[in-house]
Amino acid sequence: MSIGNNGYGGEVELRGLQKRFGEVVAVDSIDLDVVPGEFFSLLGPSGCGKTTTLRLIAGFERPSAGEILLDGTSLGSVPPDRRNVNTVFQSYALFPHLDVLANVEFGMRYQKTKKPERKRRAEEALELVDLTALASRRPHQLSGGQQQRVALARALVLRPSVLLLDEPLGALDAKIRRQLRIELKALQEEIGITFIFVTHDQEEALSMSDRLAVMNGGRVDQVGTPRQVYESPETLFVADFLGVANVLEVEVEAAALADACSIRVGDFALRARGGDLGVRGAASVVVRPERLALRPHDAVAGENCLPGMVDRTVFVGSNLHVMVRLAAGGVLQASIPNDGSNLDLHEQGRPVLVHVPPDALRVLAPSAPVDSSRS
Amino acid sequence: MSTPTDPTTPAAPPPAAPRPAVRPSRIPNWMANPWGRPRWLSAVTWIYILWALVPVLAAILFSFNDGRSRSVWQGFSTRWWWGDESLSVLHNATYSDALLHSLELAALNMAIATPLGFLLAIGLDRWRGRGSRPANFLMLVPLTTPELAMAVSLLLVFTQLSVLPFSAVHLGTTAQVIGQVTFSVSYVVVIVRSRLAAIGPEYEEAARDLGASAVQATRDVLVPLLLPAFLASTLIVFALSIDDFVVTQYMAAGGDTTTVPMLLYANARGATTTPALNAVATIMVVVTLMGVLGAYLVLRYFGHRTEGREVQGKEAMQDLTV
Repeated sequence: MSIGNNGYGGEVELRGLQKRFGEVVAVDSIDLDVVPGEFFSLLGPSGCGKTTTLRLIAGFERPSAGEILLDGTSLGSVPPDRRNVNTVFQSYALFPHLDVLANVEFGMRYQKTKKPERKRRAEEALELVDLTALASRRPHQLSGGQQQRVALARALVLRPSVLLLDEPLGALDAKIRRQLRIELKALQEEIGITFIFVTHDQEEALSMSDRLAVMNGGRVDQVGTPRQVYESPETLFVADFLGVANVLEVEVEAAALADACSIRVGDFALRARGGDLGVRGAASVVVRPERLALRPHDAVAGENCLPGMVDRTVFVGSNLHVMVRLAAGGVLQASIPNDGSNLDLHEQGRPVLVHVPPDALRVLAPSAPVDSSRS
Repeated sequence: MSTPTDPTTPAAPPPAAPRPAVRPSRIPNWMANPWGRPRWLSAVTWIYILWALVPVLAAILFSFNDGRSRSVWQGFSTRWWWGDESLSVLHNATYSDALLHSLELAALNMAIATPLGFLLAIGLDRWRGRGSRPANFLMLVPLTTPELAMAVSLLLVFTQLSVLPFSAVHLGTTAQVIGQVTFSVSYVVVIVRSRLAAIGPEYEEAARDLGASAVQATRDVLVPLLLPAFLASTLIVFALSIDDFVVTQYMAAGGDTTTVPMLLYANARGATTTPALNAVATIMVVVTLMGVLGAYLVLRYFGHRTEGREVQGKEAMQDLTV
């Protein structure tokens, strides 16, 4: 692929990176390694510092402390125009006074690229994003999705070793967003350069990333593959931010087995196999709604079952979200596939047993920061 | 009221009185018809427009009067425009000199105030930190200072102070240009800053990201994007200058620094004044109107190119012109 770097992606290292705006610490001592050619996401709620981190890498902001290395070279005093990274802005920032082709050619003006060569490469880039037919349009004549692809072509045509994307799908409607998600991931795999992708949309981050960092209050809470982060959250914040998480306050007793521990929810005992099994005493456990199963209350109470009563059921089409008020106190949300079975179990006021598989229960140490923004 | 016979049946609550389907109104329907046209509003608006425009239209009309009178219609002619060999606008040196001087001042004002205001606006936009907030506020002071106060202070400074640079300025064209530039600059700053705010920092950041140096980003992105604001402020400065009386009058020195507004002021009540004065006034009206209209059209035309951000440009215009 001539537009890419022949499969070359840059390596980005953040070392103790910090950015303050006056009293506010936007980015608080971040250490990250983004390996060459990976699709890496920074995920977090607004104000968590993810965009500031991206702007620091791009060079629009100067770090208050710490270092950014690109392929081992410190970018400390390198201005944005001399960093071999390019950005796709949230608003795309296509130059309104230039047509699409001129927008894509823009960056090559400042490289020693001859005019015919510039045009050829710009046309190639437009072909890559399927916009050849719109080369002579002005940005305002394009749809949001088309503008986004022009912004992508404009950045990629410079053959950066790292592409920074700041919520590039945020301004689009849901259907186009889903489609572009797939296209963007395919494009990244095709050209092989490193993508650093900022988003607050957990579904986006989970579906596209090779790895992601979940950010919270200027810090990185957890780094891992989508599966690791979703299934083995290390903090309550991560558990809660990625999808729906049920949190129960529990008492952890001595380990029953090497790979499990015994926990008490009120008067009921459960076995947990996930998370920090060395914790003793008060702790939280997290369990995903899709891992819960409902059984009739008079079924044989097997292991790891909690009695409760259906509080309310929300129908969302493919699934039913059943809120169960537990006899031990608290509410669990169970996500039950809408497969036509056990319909009578979802009626309001129905007593049920909630089965919680031991490996779905993750114990989190009480010191895990509880974020106030948790609903 | 009957006592309940069965003590286990609770007494049913008395039925709520039915609410009227239509609430009463004090205004008769024909007046308050909410779906009708806003008759009263439009009537008041039109009365005002007539009140404001009729005198101007009458003055324009009398520039085409056949006789000497500026109040009695004696038929249509163009003698006061160019027909009369000595008294028409075209041939009377007093009028044509005033027109030329007005245009000269406007040209100088445009050439100085627009670039100066531009630099100030960009500077203020980028200046963050101590002093920038008071500076931002103080930039607006000339807009709100009574013009007379500014004119009198400038007069004092130029004639009484024997300190450079003030002592170097003598009344006349130089002082008139300096006076006009002093207050026009604020308007330029307001227009350009509102445009800068609408553009935002992102286009420049994008240019830097794509490899442009700070200077190149300004030249290749910011300047083209500010072009409409540049044209609009040039036209506004023109309209301000052509129209200005107070400062120009105070800074004047003798007959050859007389502008059209000064001429109009001096001769408006003169018994010997001919409809040629109306013709000069008409030229003023048309020229000023063209300036403002041009500025509006420029902002509107270019506004469309920046994705719905023209609204801010228009608002800036309305702030200044209405």
